Amino acid sequence: MNPVVIERLGAIIAGIVVAVVSFYSLYKDWKAIGVENNVFKIMLFLLGLGAILAILAGLNVIGFSEPSKGA
Amino acid sequence: MAVATLAHDAHGEADQLYLETRELRLQGFLLFLISDCVLFSSFIFAYLYMRNSGQGWPPPGIHRLDVPFAAWNSVVLFGSGATMHYALENFKHGHWMRYVWFLMATIVLGLGFLGGQAYEYTHLIFTEHVTWAGSGIFGASFFTLTGMHGFHVFLGVCYLTVLLLQSAAGVYTRGKFFGITAGTLYWHFVDVIWVVLFSIFYLI
Repeated sequence: MNPVVIERLGAIIAGIVVAVVSFYSLYKDWKAIGVENNVFKIMLFLLGLGAILAILAGLNVIGFSEPSKGA
Repeated sequence: MAVATLAHDAHGEADQLYLETRELRLQGFLLFLISDCVLFSSFIFAYLYMRNSGQGWPPPGIHRLDVPFAAWNSVVLFGSGATMHYALENFKHGHWMRYVWFLMATIVLGLGFLGGQAYEYTHLIFTEHVTWAGSGIFGASFFTLTGMHGFHVFLGVCYLTVLLLQSAAGVYTRGKFFGITAGTLYWHFVDVIWVVLFSIFYLI
């Protein structure tokens, strides 16, 4: 199999797992109070966002499609 | 009896002192993270400014970066953020073995990310001939920012390894575990910085 396809599949599948885990943890900790818990909530949200970006990059929705010669 | 009472009082005072200083330590650590954020921000905004004042991006003669590999490597790092969060949660709830496994998974994933970055650097330097000093703004900004981030990940891996050893030595208890909280905050911070770097170098 083409290594690029494997990388894309890995990014999509693992990205979905990470996004689900991040948002689930955020949901679970939503009512937690205190400075550190609020920082954790922001971090978990951004982590989930990063995972979604990786999924979209894996799906070729965003980012460059293939490494190609610059303009 | 008197000795036992004194020891109990000393222990109580130590606990009280820990609780009082914990908030200060947390604030100090958050200030450190904010200062690190300012450091990265200055480099990121300098990169964006130079990128937008240039002649197309990437500059002529330089290949575009490999997005599928970067996406995969990013997920490895983001996954380590999730495992670190669960390591802390398991420690808080007294699940010792799960804590150790999640912490070890975090270390392995962090090393995996560093390995991926080393592979990417090797490919860029030896195949694409992109270097820090010889490829203009692109090479300088890419290697400076991702290198600085990679160094943070490396320090984080060292920190987590120390945490693992300290935990095995019984340094942290269910009531006193600020080191693990700080490690989790630091690791999340490193993840979040990569979200930004991944976006600006590979996606836009």
